[in-house]
Amino acid sequence: MIEALRKKAEELLKNKTVDVVYGYGEGSVPERTRPVFITKPEDVNKLTWNKYCVYNLTTYLKKQESRKLGKPAIVVKGCDAKTITVLIKESQIKREDIYIIGVTCTGIGDPPATKCKACDVNTPLIYDELIGEKIGNKEFSFEERYAELDEYEKLSEQEKWDFWQKQFEKCIKCYACSSICPLCFCDRCIVDKNQPQWIDPSAHPRGNLSWNVTRAYHLAGRCINCEECQRVCPADIPLNLLNKKLAKETEKNFKYRSGYNVDDELAMATYKEDDNQDFIK
Amino acid sequence: MSKKIGVFVCHCGTNISATVDVEKVAEETKKNNPRVAYTTTYKYMCSDPGQKLLRDKIKEEGLTGVVVAACSPKMHEHTFRNAAVKTGLNPYHVEISNIREQCSWVHPDIPTGTDKSIDLVRMMTEKTRKDKSLTAIKVPVTKRALVIGGGIAGIQAALDIADGGQEVVMVEREASIGGHMAQLSETFPTLDCSQCIMTPKMVEAAQHDNITMYTWSEIESITGYLGNFDVKIRKKARSVDLDLCTGCSSCWQVCPCKKIKSEFDMGIGNRTAIYIPFPQAIPSKPVIDRENCILFKDARKKNIKPNDSKVCRKCIDACPIAPVKAIDYNQEDEIVDVKIGAIIVATGFRELEDGLYGEYGGGKYEDVITGLQFERLASASGPTEGKIKRPSDGKEPEIVVFIQCVGSRDPAKGCSYCSKTCCMYTAKHTMLYKHKVHDGHAFVFYIDIRCAGKSYEEFSQRAIEEEGATYLRGRVSRVYKKGEKLIVLGADTLTGSVVEIEADMVVLASAMKAQDDAEQFAQKLSIQYDKDKFFSEMHPKLKPVESSSAGIFLAGTCQGPKDIPETVAQAGAAASKVLALLSSDELEREPVVARVDRQLPPVFSTCIGCFYCQKVCPYSAIESEDIKARDGSVIKTVARVNEGLCQGCGLCAATCRSKSVELEGFNDEQIYAEINALEFN
Amino acid sequence: MAEETKFEPRIVAFLCNWCTYAGADLAGTGRNQYQANVRVIKLPCTGGIDPLFLIKAFERGADGILVSGCHPGDCHYNSGNYHARRRWNVFRPLLEFCGINPERIQFSWVSAAEGGKWVETINGVVDTVRALGPFEGYQKINAVGSDASGEAATSGDTG
Repeated sequence: MIEALRKKAEELLKNKTVDVVYGYGEGSVPERTRPVFITKPEDVNKLTWNKYCVYNLTTYLKKQESRKLGKPAIVVKGCDAKTITVLIKESQIKREDIYIIGVTCTGIGDPPATKCKACDVNTPLIYDELIGEKIGNKEFSFEERYAELDEYEKLSEQEKWDFWQKQFEKCIKCYACSSICPLCFCDRCIVDKNQPQWIDPSAHPRGNLSWNVTRAYHLAGRCINCEECQRVCPADIPLNLLNKKLAKETEKNFKYRSGYNVDDELAMATYKEDDNQDFIK
Repeated sequence: MSKKIGVFVCHCGTNISATVDVEKVAEETKKNNPRVAYTTTYKYMCSDPGQKLLRDKIKEEGLTGVVVAACSPKMHEHTFRNAAVKTGLNPYHVEISNIREQCSWVHPDIPTGTDKSIDLVRMMTEKTRKDKSLTAIKVPVTKRALVIGGGIAGIQAALDIADGGQEVVMVEREASIGGHMAQLSETFPTLDCSQCIMTPKMVEAAQHDNITMYTWSEIESITGYLGNFDVKIRKKARSVDLDLCTGCSSCWQVCPCKKIKSEFDMGIGNRTAIYIPFPQAIPSKPVIDRENCILFKDARKKNIKPNDSKVCRKCIDACPIAPVKAIDYNQEDEIVDVKIGAIIVATGFRELEDGLYGEYGGGKYEDVITGLQFERLASASGPTEGKIKRPSDGKEPEIVVFIQCVGSRDPAKGCSYCSKTCCMYTAKHTMLYKHKVHDGHAFVFYIDIRCAGKSYEEFSQRAIEEEGATYLRGRVSRVYKKGEKLIVLGADTLTGSVVEIEADMVVLASAMKAQDDAEQFAQKLSIQYDKDKFFSEMHPKLKPVESSSAGIFLAGTCQGPKDIPETVAQAGAAASKVLALLSSDELEREPVVARVDRQLPPVFSTCIGCFYCQKVCPYSAIESEDIKARDGSVIKTVARVNEGLCQGCGLCAATCRSKSVELEGFNDEQIYAEINALEFN
Repeated sequence: MAEETKFEPRIVAFLCNWCTYAGADLAGTGRNQYQANVRVIKLPCTGGIDPLFLIKAFERGADGILVSGCHPGDCHYNSGNYHARRRWNVFRPLLEFCGINPERIQFSWVSAAEGGKWVETINGVVDTVRALGPFEGYQKINAVGSDASGEAATSGDTG
C-alpha cells in the first residue's frame, strides 16, 4: 500500500496535477506519525501509511500556511474523507480543486480508536484514487452507531450535570479542539468576538459551559466524528460525546448523517414541514 | 461617546398608572442607570402635548436615545419615532417599553407590576444604548394592484383603483365575478334589486381599460414584498377559449347533463355541465364542470385525453365558431406571472353548512333552507323565478318560520361572534315573503334584534308592525317532520311559554363563516388571521383595512361579517390606501435588514463564506461577493445581503456561527444588552 | 424550608414579533391576567433566535426560558419557525445531555389570536419552573469567583 501511495504521489507531482501532497510521514517514534507536505516528486518516500495515521489531514485545508502551497492532493481515510464532502457542501473547497487519495483502512490507533468501533467507511465514499484493496463497507444499526452514548444518557439529570461540570471545569480554553477541527474554519470564532462577548473567554466555569456547548452546537449536523477534538484536548474532556450526541439527534430527527452524501441538503440549513415538534407546546 | 437617554413613562390615563407606580418607575430608572439623563411621566404620551414634551426634552436635554414606556410598540412606536425625527434625532434611537399590554393590563398587583415595569424599562434602556442610526431603504414600486376576489368588495376596490388611474389585476376563482351579492334578491333596507345595482358594476369592471380580469383562476403563489410582489395566477382550465367564445348559449342548451345542482342557486336549482353560473355572469362565457361532464368522466375512466373520448360531443358540435371551435376539451391550467405593487384581499365568506344544525333538520329536510337559499327562491332570476315555492313539492308555504342566530353567537357550534347581517336580512325575508304570499304568515325566532345602521331599525320595525311578521324572542330547540309539516319547537322567553309551530318551510339565518381555505390562503400571503379564520386587520381601530403584511389590504367579509354598505366602504378605503401607495415612485421601507460585516484588510470580512445564511434565507436575499486583490484575483468569497430583498427576519444572523451577519435594529449588541439587563443575578 | 416557598422563578421569553408577541398583547387587551415572572425579549422571528441568547439568559440567572413563535405554516417570513424548530430539535437534547432539565427551556407556538394560549403557556412555564426550584447548578457556576463561595461548581443540584 505504501508503495502504491508513493507512486501515486510521485505521479501527481510529476504531472503537475497537484502542487502538494498532504500525507502521513514517520514520527519520532514508531507509534507516531506526523503530517508531511510533499511538494517535490523526489520526496515521496517520506510518505507512509500504518495504523498510527490517526490525524485527519483535512484540517490543513483550512490553514493558510498549507493552502499557500497550491493545489493539494490529500491522503484520507474513510472518516476523514467525509470532511471533504462537508467542506464542499459548505463552499470551503471546490471538488475540482482537490485530489483525493483515499486509503482503505481497517482501524487506527493502538488500542483502536473508539471511532473505529462502528466504522462504516473502511473504504472512503469519495476519492479520485483508491489505495489499498477495496473493502465492502459494513452497516451498523442506529443503536450500534451511538452505543457509546448509552451509559451517559442513562445518567440522571444530576449525574449528567455533575459529570459535565467536572469535565468542563478542566477546560483551560486553549482552543486546541477548534484549531484541530477541520470544520471549525471560521476566520473569527464566536469566542473571539468581543462586541459583544457572548462567551466569557476566561477559564471560568460559566464561560467553559457556554463555550463547550456552543462549540458542539456549531458542529451539529456537520461533525463527521473524526474525534480529533477529543484526541488533542490536553484536559481529556470527552468532547466527542457531545458531538456524537448531536449526530444522533440529527440522524434521529432529520434522517441526516453528515459527510455521507454530497447531494444531501445540510441538516441545519434546511427543514421539513413535518420535522419533529413533539416538544413544542 | 456614551448616549444620553431620556425615559418617558406614560400613565395612559389610568390604564397604566392604576396598576403601575409610574413615578416609581421613573425614579428607579433614573437612580439606577447612570446613562439615563432624564426621566419623566406624563398622562398621555401619545397626545399632542405628550409628543411635544418628548420633542422639547430631546432638544433641551440633548437626548441621543429615548425610551417611551407605554403601550405596545405595535400601537405607537411609529408615533414616537416620527416625533423624534422632527427634532433631528434618528428615529431608530427611540424604543418602546411595553408596560401596558404586557404589564399593567395583566398584573393587577401594583408592586409586582411596578417591579416588572422597572425591569422592562431597564432592558429597553440598555438596548437603546446600542441603537444605531439607520436610514430608511428606498424601493421602487410596481404600479399595479392585485385584487383577489370578484365579489362586491373586490369589484368596488378594483373600480376605485382603476378610476384612480392605476392598473388592476383581478382574480376570481369562480367562473363569473359577482360573488354573494349577485345571488341576493333584494337588499335591505331599501329593497332595491341586488342584480340591478350589482350587474352594472360588474359590467363596468369588465370593460374598464385599467382592469385585467382573470375568472376561473386562483392565486398560485405570492412572493416579494410591499411594492414588489411577484404573483403567480393559476388560470384553471375552463375548456372554453374566452377569446373565441361569444357566449351564444348553443353549447349549454344542448348539454345532456341537466341535473347538476347549481352552486349559484345554492343547490335548489339545476345547471348543465357546460354552463354559465347565472344569466348575468361576467364573463358571459361558459365553463365545463369537468367533475360532472360525462365526456371527462369517460376520459378519466379510460385514462385517455378528454378530446379522444367519443361519449358525448354535443357542446362542441353545437359551437358555431369556425374554423376553430371555442371549446377545447384538452385545455390545461396555465400559470400567469404578474408583478404587483399592492394587494387587496377580498375573498369573502361562506355560509355555515346547514348540516351542522341537525336539530333544526338542516341538511336533512328539504324544506329547511338557509338564508342564501331563500334569496335564490325570492330572486326573479332564481330557479322559481321569484315565486316562493318550497323545495320538496313546489307548494307555496303558508307558514314560514325564520330562525335567527343559526351558528352565530353559539360557541358550541364554533362561532362565538355575531354575523351582523342576519337580523336585517331576516326582516327583509319576512317582507319578501309577505309581498309574494299575501296570506302567508312569517314567524321569527330571535335572541336579540340588532339593527344598528342607518334606516335599519325602521326597516325591522316595518317588518314587524306593517308587514305583520310575528317575532318571538327565544331559541328553537328542535325542528322535526310530521306529515308534510315541519314542527318547530321553540321558546318564547317574553311570555315564558313553549311555542310549537306547524310550518311549511323553515329558513335558517346561517352564520357567515370564513372561507374553508382561509387559513391556507393566509399562510400563502403571510397575513394573520383570527380564531375564526377571518383575516386580521393591523389595528382594530386605526388600521382597519391594513393586513399584518405591508402592502396587503383587506376588504369585505374576509375580514369579518359585514353588510354591503360596510363592505363597499371598506373596499373604497382599501383602494384609497393602494392608490396612495402606488402614487409614489419609490417607497421607504424599515431599514431592519441584515448586513454582513466588512472589515479592513487583511480580514475584509469575518464571513468565511459557508453560505448557510444563503440556504436558510426565505427571500433569496443573500448573494455571494468576491473580494478581489488589485490584480483581480479572488482573495475571499463572502456573503452579501441584498437589502432590497431582505425582509429582516434575522434567520441568517441566527444561523451564522461567527456572527458575521447581523440584523439592523436587532443586532448582536442590542440583544446582548437586553439580555444582559436581566438583573436576575 | 421557608426560603423554598418564597421562590419566584425568573423567566425570560423570546418571542417573535408577529405571532406570540401580538398574542401576548392580545392577552393584555383582553385583560387576561397571568403571573408576572416573565420578561419578554422581542425579535422579528423565532428563526432569528440564536441558542447563544438562551445560554446568555441562563448566565444572567434565568430559572427558565420560553421560546415562542408562529404556528407551522403561519410564519410571517414563511419558513423562519421551521428553521428555528430544527435548531431546537438538536439544541434541546444537547442541553439535556449536559444535565439541564429540558423543562427549563420550553417552546411553544402561540398565534396573534391566541391570547388565552399565551396566558396558559406562560403560567405553565412559571408553575413548572417553580416546581423545579431555582436553577442552582447554573447559579453556582455563575457565582464562582464572584464571592466567597468560589468553590468547585460541580456540587449541588441542578434543580
